[in-house]
Amino acid sequence: MFNNFKNSFISAMEPDQSSTGWLRDKFPYGRPPFLQLLTADELRASANHNVRPIIVPRDLNLLPWGTGYAECINSGKSKWNEDQAAFCRHVLMDPDKRHPDLPYTYFGIFDGHAGYGAALAASHQFHDILHEMLVDCSELLLQRDEDNDNGIPQLNPTFPHPTYFQRRVSRDELIIGALENAFFHMDWLIAQDRKHYRNAGGCTACVALFIDGKMYVANAGDSRAVLCQRRAGARVAVSETQSEPNEIEPNPIDSLDSYPTAYSADHTPETERERLMNVASLKPHLMRQQYVTMEYAKRPHITDMGKRILCRQSTMKGWSYKTLTRNDLRMPVVNGEGKRSRLLGTLGVTRGFGDHDLLAINTGVQIKPFLTPQPDVRQRDLSQVVSIPDEHNEDGDYGVLVMATDGLWDVSENDAVSRTVFQMLSRYPKEKHRYTMAAQELVARARGKINESGHWRLADSKAAATVDDISVIVIPVYQYYKEHIEWTRNDTRELEKRRRKTVEANMAQEAANALNDIVAEEANVVEEPHIQQQQVTAQVETVPAQLTQEKKKQEDQEQRSNWI
Amino acid sequence: MSYAYLFKYIIIGDTGVGKSCLLLQFTDKRFQPVHDLTIGVEFGARMITIDGKQIKLQIWDTAGQEAFRSITRSYYRGAAGALLVYDITRRETFNHLTTWLEDARQHSNSNMVIMLIGNKSDLDSRREVKKEEGEAFAREHGLVFMETSARTAANVEEAFINTAKEIYEKIQEGVFDINNEANGIKIGQQATPTNPALPGAGGAGGAVNSGCC
Repeated sequence: MFNNFKNSFISAMEPDQSSTGWLRDKFPYGRPPFLQLLTADELRASANHNVRPIIVPRDLNLLPWGTGYAECINSGKSKWNEDQAAFCRHVLMDPDKRHPDLPYTYFGIFDGHAGYGAALAASHQFHDILHEMLVDCSELLLQRDEDNDNGIPQLNPTFPHPTYFQRRVSRDELIIGALENAFFHMDWLIAQDRKHYRNAGGCTACVALFIDGKMYVANAGDSRAVLCQRRAGARVAVSETQSEPNEIEPNPIDSLDSYPTAYSADHTPETERERLMNVASLKPHLMRQQYVTMEYAKRPHITDMGKRILCRQSTMKGWSYKTLTRNDLRMPVVNGEGKRSRLLGTLGVTRGFGDHDLLAINTGVQIKPFLTPQPDVRQRDLSQVVSIPDEHNEDGDYGVLVMATDGLWDVSENDAVSRTVFQMLSRYPKEKHRYTMAAQELVARARGKINESGHWRLADSKAAATVDDISVIVIPVYQYYKEHIEWTRNDTRELEKRRRKTVEANMAQEAANALNDIVAEEANVVEEPHIQQQQVTAQVETVPAQLTQEKKKQEDQEQRSNWI
Repeated sequence: MSYAYLFKYIIIGDTGVGKSCLLLQFTDKRFQPVHDLTIGVEFGARMITIDGKQIKLQIWDTAGQEAFRSITRSYYRGAAGALLVYDITRRETFNHLTTWLEDARQHSNSNMVIMLIGNKSDLDSRREVKKEEGEAFAREHGLVFMETSARTAANVEEAFINTAKEIYEKIQEGVFDINNEANGIKIGQQATPTNPALPGAGGAGGAVNSGCC
């Protein structure tokens, strides 16, 4: 189905090559396929810079677990929305069918700059690369601990080849490794493609992977993933006063008890100052004598020469005095504060994909060596979450993961986002589109309203709203976990069935052998086979008892191996 | 396909009156009896001919539910025409017209052409709003009126095209400033602008505008 969309899409948006130079786009421009903006007309209407319509999926069933999504275009800084989003559901399988399958779901959000190519490439290709990386270690990932139940004592259940490794590697580390590898590979792919396709620009990447009952968030750049949670307190108070706990009225107090946890850290010149300064200090030739690894409290002027000025050199955290020399008048590698901080006076984000040909403004110095696709990866083990069913606070306990580009975060605090999410969820307690409503509301608030003079303003404070592209994904983490539990249960049942079949087959074989022996031994006693048949049946009946024992053993093992 | 003009339309009215079905009937010539609730906004487009000129209609189909009202309000901006729809089998959808009209007048430009539509005319046996009532409301508020059926396609073409004719006449009379896109009218270009103009196109590298992230 996904492919159908893609195909109809490609035909609808085949680019016109006449006006765009010699290299063509690798992927035709489009919005995420799950939005079903299939025609050029729809695409153009959605890119109205004056109205900035908020686009949500037309068919809510395309995203798993009722996950919400909403986006809106910038106010005119680029013709098209340069953000992209993607998701993919896949299964890791053992070709020999020795181990049960391992399904996973991935969501990605990519904020493009200097063109839409890199973000578009990432949204089309990242999931394939990630899958490749996961398949690469699937032998280790698929191995269940109970599979090792073959009588040979194992020192470490996640360490199948003791002779190969010097240290034990957990499943977690394998998945984190796969994510990291995928980030590097994606960046490499964009580098390769620039020989054949049009300059792609660059993009940030924020990726969530749900696998094996856990949530992993990998981020490179200034998009952000925040887990919004809520304490059960407010809800309990409401349900106690009401006879029917199912009929919970939207309660404004609900959202007060919400709290956010960041699952990614923004990578900007300011937050990554130390890394950037290290690169510059260790490889001074990268600066081509145009920059200094220095930061000044006040921008030095030529008239300050010979004076003592406050500065910090290289990776210093504190400040000290220095006498200003001519060399110090060059541009600092990192300058500015907060959202205005810039690397080489040009770029406001320091990790992500692409930007291979990006040159610094005025100096033409290569920027890429300072950038890295290396993501930070954080993990949450959902099996450790404590949630009391009577409290009906699954969304609060497991959390709702909000992934969004900086269009949202530039004007919204994590706290406010978390509050908005739970406000919307209590306003729409049962609706299928409740997470979509949360996403839509977040985008609407960050976009604000346009005033008479054509400026976008926040509704509550009249402060400037975001003029950037905004994309928001709202993932109900509990819905994933529920699916995972269900899958594990079926999986265990399947495994047991398979085991029972093997055991039964073995028993039947043994019984048949025994019978044959007896028949052979007592071939001359013709009246007795009937009794012996009964014995065989009795033997077979002991099988379930053995199975129960085996299952118990399995469960014990599972508990023991929960540390992973 | 090139066009002489592009008109932006917006379809408004209570939830369940058949806004999305009208759009589907007009753009795809088909009827979908069960339609999911519209959340946010959906887009449709079709080329029509008026006075020998190719005119592209870009139609914004909005969510009717009260909860979406504040977001819908922002979509009036830059609309040249509006279809205000009610359901002839549900009196309350007719009663809400005044609120809708106030909203529309307040958030759109004053020249926007509004067409009042009583939909579901095929369900005459369940009719709760007389045709005369619709006509009277339209007369009182200076709207054009028509009863349609998205199911049988009766009057659907006419509703969209008559609105366009009215807008076209206003352009001829010089009422609309067609050079201001905020009026919901765009003069056609020679070539189809399917291909986005890009900064840094052609792989030339070079300096890139600052503040891009």
